Amino acid sequence: MSEPRDPQRPAVPAAAPAPPERRVTEIDKQRVPMAAKPYRLLALVKQDAVVRVQKEPDDTVMTWPHLLVIEFFAAAMISVFLLLMGVFANAPLEELANPNVTPEVAKAPWYFLGLQELLTYFHPTVAGALTPVLVLVGAALIPYVDRSPGNRPSERKTAVVLFSIFCILGLVMTFFAIFFRGPGYSPSLPWVSGLHFAL
Amino acid sequence: MSFFERVDQGIRRSAVWRSLFRQPYPRDERSRAMAVMNSVWLHIHPVRVRQHAVKFAYTFCLGGLSFFLFLVLTITGVYLMFFYVPSSNLAYTNILEIQSEVVFGLLTRNIHRWGAHLMVFFVFLHMMRVFYHGAYKPPREFNWVVGVILLFLTLMLSFSGYLLPWDQIAYWAITIGTNMAGFAPLVNTPTKLLLLGGIEVGQNTLLRFYVLHVVFLPLVAALFLAVHFWRIRKDGGISGPL
Repeated sequence: MSEPRDPQRPAVPAAAPAPPERRVTEIDKQRVPMAAKPYRLLALVKQDAVVRVQKEPDDTVMTWPHLLVIEFFAAAMISVFLLLMGVFANAPLEELANPNVTPEVAKAPWYFLGLQELLTYFHPTVAGALTPVLVLVGAALIPYVDRSPGNRPSERKTAVVLFSIFCILGLVMTFFAIFFRGPGYSPSLPWVSGLHFAL
Repeated sequence: MSFFERVDQGIRRSAVWRSLFRQPYPRDERSRAMAVMNSVWLHIHPVRVRQHAVKFAYTFCLGGLSFFLFLVLTITGVYLMFFYVPSSNLAYTNILEIQSEVVFGLLTRNIHRWGAHLMVFFVFLHMMRVFYHGAYKPPREFNWVVGVILLFLTLMLSFSGYLLPWDQIAYWAITIGTNMAGFAPLVNTPTKLLLLGGIEVGQNTLLRFYVLHVVFLPLVAALFLAVHFWRIRKDGGISGPL
């Protein structure tokens, strides 16, 4: 359906007569054809103030090459390390799983060994279930508990000390469970009864 | 011009090459900016980063390396999947075959195993680094929470993979690990039944851990990784300097 045409106006508007010899203004000089524009709107950036009093010193460097070089070498080093590990150290593999044969000592993977160590001191519900849940939930809540604005260690001594104590405790427990627990998960010395641990 | 230089030039001028790489090797600032911005692999980075962010001793690349290990584990893991059946009758034999008959099977399994331990270790270290820099402070609070979720997923990925070789280490480590879940107050029996698919580690457990290990957990982890990286950018890059 075509639009009803206004009978008063011609179908094709007459070409507007070109303004004869218009004076070239400053705006005309800045006008650039769209095709020649080498930029587009990519993002809106909040302006700090209407009048920028002082331009902050630019402390940035180009991602290419400065960041990418570091990332490349870090990835390369890890790759070489993994390759060497893979060539020279075999992943452990024991006999076929057998529910009827209990091994001398059964240890959890190393990152859960701290919890297994706790099992010998506390009630299983505390050590095995409540602790891991509390640790994870507690860790997630850290930013909402610690509301101090400072970033430097000297400005947040309590947080740093508490976190360090927690890390060291975890480390000591894991270390003890790896090296000083022998048959039947009883205390043992690694240089006497050997190492009872598999990665 | 030597023969190799001419071949090199010919390749670089070919339509295929120029359709693959839309610009020549970037040598000035503008083209380097374009290279980072236009590449799907590099656009995870901003074009410019703050100076302290490229100091190795600030981040030790721990987060980036954790992600790199995630990729290595995905690739080696997919290769291992071709030769592994999650059946309590076949799994152990499959591992023996992977080690003795599959091309680079032993190496791939070794790298997968050591890479997994290393990833857990690096994620722990990354978390400590972030804490000591106070990098969880506003506006980055929620990204810390995403990080804790990623730590949990990393642990679960490693733990679920631990069972797959179906040897004595695997069987008893998982028995110990899941026994802990059995001590949960109120929900102990349902949790254990859900994890094990039975009252003790068996075929159902193997299948559950396998599906979690190769499909569910990697997908969820990839999702949270995307959120983690996106938020780093939106929060103005990494925190600091101290």
